[in-house]
Order: sequence, then structure tokens, then C-alpha cells
Amino acid sequence: MLANRTRLILIVVLLAFLVTLPLWTSRYVVNVGLLVCLYVTLASMWNLLAGYSGMVSLGQQMFIGLGGYTLAVSSVYFGVPIYLSVLFGGFMSVILAVLISMSVFRMKGVYFAIGTWVIAEALGICFSNWGYVKYGMGMFIKPAYKLSMSGVYYAGMILCISSVALVFFLLRSNLGLALMAIRDDDKASETLGVNIFRCKFICFLLSAFVTGLAAGVLYLNAIFIQPFEAFGIGWTVNLLFIVIIGGIGTIEGPILGAIIFVLLQQFLSEFVGYNLIILGGVTIGVIFFAPKGIVGTLQEKTGWELFPVRRQ
Amino acid sequence: MIEYLEPLINGILLGGLYGVVGIGLSMVFGIMRQVNLAHGDLMILSSYFSLLFLQVLGLHPLVTLILVAPLMFFIGYLIQLFLFNRVMQRGMEPFLMISFGLSIIIQNALLLVFTPDARSLETTLVIKSVDAFGLFNIPLIYLVNFAAGALVLGALQQFMKRTYMGWAINAAADNETAAKLMGINPKKVYAYAMGIAAVTAAISGVLVGMTFTFYPHSGTQYLIIAFGVVIIGGLGSLPGTFLGGLVLGVSQLFGGRILGPGFQLLSGYIILLIILTVRPQGILGGR
Repeated sequence: MLANRTRLILIVVLLAFLVTLPLWTSRYVVNVGLLVCLYVTLASMWNLLAGYSGMVSLGQQMFIGLGGYTLAVSSVYFGVPIYLSVLFGGFMSVILAVLISMSVFRMKGVYFAIGTWVIAEALGICFSNWGYVKYGMGMFIKPAYKLSMSGVYYAGMILCISSVALVFFLLRSNLGLALMAIRDDDKASETLGVNIFRCKFICFLLSAFVTGLAAGVLYLNAIFIQPFEAFGIGWTVNLLFIVIIGGIGTIEGPILGAIIFVLLQQFLSEFVGYNLIILGGVTIGVIFFAPKGIVGTLQEKTGWELFPVRRQ
Repeated sequence: MIEYLEPLINGILLGGLYGVVGIGLSMVFGIMRQVNLAHGDLMILSSYFSLLFLQVLGLHPLVTLILVAPLMFFIGYLIQLFLFNRVMQRGMEPFLMISFGLSIIIQNALLLVFTPDARSLETTLVIKSVDAFGLFNIPLIYLVNFAAGALVLGALQQFMKRTYMGWAINAAADNETAAKLMGINPKKVYAYAMGIAAVTAAISGVLVGMTFTFYPHSGTQYLIIAFGVVIIGGLGSLPGTFLGGLVLGVSQLFGGRILGPGFQLLSGYIILLIILTVRPQGILGGR
């Protein structure tokens, strides 16, 4: 009971902190908070695929790019209200996920990783050769000027909280049980009646939807979208850093990882050129010395989880 | 028909180069069942090493290989010994992540040292061309690439077949425990294999550097080409890699001819995705 109460208090404090952040800090801190929220969202979705469903995707940037471009096209060309455009980005990502699922679900392991990456690269090339979205020069996202910083922040915060809640409740549901069974032994679970394809498919679509939404909010805060940046592998590299450092296959991992990542990024931004080298080194170090990430290693030592998903 | 002869011939020649680009990745997969995401960056690292020797010593790019190849062998050997060997038993992800980390480090170190400017290894080979039946011109460098590619793949095939180290590598790849019982140290053998893969990266890096311009971030692009080659040909198959190079080279140049130059890479990716969907183990891949 005591553990449960601590947990509840901690979660309430965290939520209160997030909600009140724009009221008592500077614009800069709110911006950092927004980045943390968005990276938590994106990383949780990558973690849902790689950590729980055994699908190590290197192509999350396809949903980021598509979400961003949907936002740009629908708000700039069609004048759709900005938050509705963000929603469209999510739907477009789901459509893309359904379209490619026939192909990528035939691939396993390394092939899945490469296949998703190649699809993202191919999309990048398509967008950079497409006159409608101004080729490789990219598009201006005009309405971003009219939005208040705290408005965008709250959009990111809602996404962050709901994505963590989504993963939590998903894992506590029957689907979560099925996913863990598949992860532990896919053949045995299939024999016991778990529909592997259906479970993975649901996760893939959910992940695509939320990633597309998060991308929309991410680009609300940007002025510009450019195909090779939007569809670049750099996004997934960041997510990988976050989840590996935090702890793959844990809910808290992406949260802690995102905080560390964004803070490191801010501190290291003075050392242009060195920051990514240091991040690369940190990743290799974590894999060697704490293979389960910071959260995974702590959980092993203390046995305490903020979001317990195992059934006792 | 004649107008398609040019992309066909040049595509085949380009394919020879792509074969060398993919061979290192294919070898590492065939031997260790691991994917080295830093392979493209090792290639571009070699291009920059060659550039350095070219500028300091005034050597021809192909001659710089005498220095670059041993250097890259050494680097590959050390990477395997100190980084990859420590995670070999832990499945696919740690290896992927470490090579990813390495890739980021190499890219950004190159960016820091050599600035983001486009570079190339300048030779007169690029300007010269050979007249093909009076119909079109073949750049001489493409012929050099193809010859070098065929040579490297042939030499590697013979090395694996005829030398003790080749047998040891195959033995460790087939059955690590049995190889150990026969007195083979798998860790050392893997380090040699990674060294050889790095030498192929050195050769392809120099060839690519002479043929195209390169940037510190070019490694990613060549990694994807290497993936394409290796997946079309089947991961771990040497003759398949050569075939994969040809298929990718020809499909890229045909795509470029039919759809426009911007779609050159895209057509290669689409062929790759189709093959991944229909035959995830590649054209010549056994499993």
C-alpha cells in the first residue's frame, strides 16, 4: 500500500509540475519542456515497437516527415485549422502504416529494420522531387507564428501524458499479455492461440498514429520543413539514444532518457560538432556497462517501478 | 533499343562498384550474423584518409590504398576486438546500437576535421572516357571500378577457399563451439574478418571517392546502397553480392533514364523493397 501511495503522489507531483510549467518559468524552459514532452512521446512509441513487440524499426522518421508535411500542406495550402491539421498528420501516418504493413510484416529482425529505413529514404526522395511541396527546398509553415508558446506546449504535454498512459494501459490489457508472450516465445504463444500478426499490427498502427501527431506538434514549433531533414534517419537515431540510455522495454526508460537527451543536447549545444560524438560515446558506454539502460538497471537493483505493468 | 544500351552497360559497370560496397557488410553478416551499421562510414573514412595521403604525399588515389588498406584493417581489427566482440553473444540489438554509435562518432569526427564541404579524390580517370561501338561513351573510371570490383570479389572468394584464415573464419561462422575445440580462437578470427571487411571498405571508399564527390555524411547513403546490394543478393552470399550490385546498378540507371535523374536512387530502393517483400532472404540467399 505504501508503495502504491508513493507512486500516486509522485505521479501527481509530476503532472502538477508539467501543467504549471508555463506559469512560472521562462519561455526557454517551456521550450525545453516541450521538447522533452515530444521526445517522450516519440520514444515511447518507438519503445512500443522495439521494446515490447520485437519490431526494431529504423523508419519512424517516415511518420515524422509525413506528419510534418501533412501539417504544412493542409494548413498552408488549404487553410485547415492548425490543430485539425495535426490530427490529419496522425491519420495520414496510419494510412501509410496500413499501406506498407503488407510489405514490412513479411520481414523479420534485421530485414524489418532495413526495410522500414529504406521506405523512409524512398519517401524522402519522393518529397524532394515533388513540385507540389516545393521540391528539396522545403516549405514554410506559416501559422506557427500565430500560436502562443504555451499553446504548443500544452499540445505536446497532452500528447506526452496520453502516450505514456496509452502504453501503460495497453500493456496491462490482454494485448499487453499477448505481446509479452510473443516477445518471450513467439512459437509457443502462437500455439496457444495468440494472433501474432494482429497484435503487432495494432501496435504498428498506434505507434504510427501517435508519431504522426507528435510530428505535427514538433513542426508547429518549427518554421520550416525540408524533406531530407524530415525524413532523415537522425530522428530515429535520437529515439534510439533515448530508449537505450533510459532502458528498452520499460515505460519509465523513454521518459528518463528523453529528459537526459534533451538536457544533454542543451548543454552540449555550445560544443558544436562534439555533442553528437559525446552522445555516440554515451550510447556505447551504456550498452557496455548498463545493458538494460538506467531504468532497467535500477529496477533490477531496487525492484521498484513507477508504472508497474506486470501482474502480481 | 540502342538508347537503353547505355544505361545497361553503365549500370553493369556501376554494379561492379556496388558489389565492393556491399561485400564488407555481407561478409560480416555471413560470418557473425550481425549487421554493421558503421560500414558506410568506414568507407567514407577511408575516402578521407586517401584524400589526406593524396594531399600530403601527392600520391595517386589508387596508390594511397597501399597505406589506407592496412590502416583500415588495423581499425577494423581493433573495433571488433574492443567493441563488437563484447556484445556478440547478446543478440542483434546491442551490435546494431554500438555500430550506430560508432557511425555517429565517425561522421561527426569527419565533420569536425574536414568541414562539411564536398570533396573528391581527383584523377584524370574521371575525365577520360572510352568510346563504345561509336554509340556512346563509357567513363574510364567506371571500367576501373568494375575491374577493381571483380578483382576484390574474386580475391576474397579465393582467400576464403584456400587460406588457413579463410577456413578458420568459415569454421567459426559455422559452429563456434566446434571451432573452439579445434583450437581456433573465434574472437581473434572475428577480428580478422572485421579487418578484412574494413579493407573492402577502404577499397570501395577510394573508388567511390574517385568517382563521386563525398561529404562526412555520405556514409549513410552508401550504407543503404550496401544494404540494397546485400539484400538483393542474399545476406552472406559472395556471388550473390556481385549479382546484387549489378541488379541495383542497372535498375538505378534505368530508373534515372526513364523517370529523371532525381529518381535514380528511388528506383533502386523500390527494387530493393519488392525483393524484400517477395523474397526476404534475397535472390541467391539460401535460408
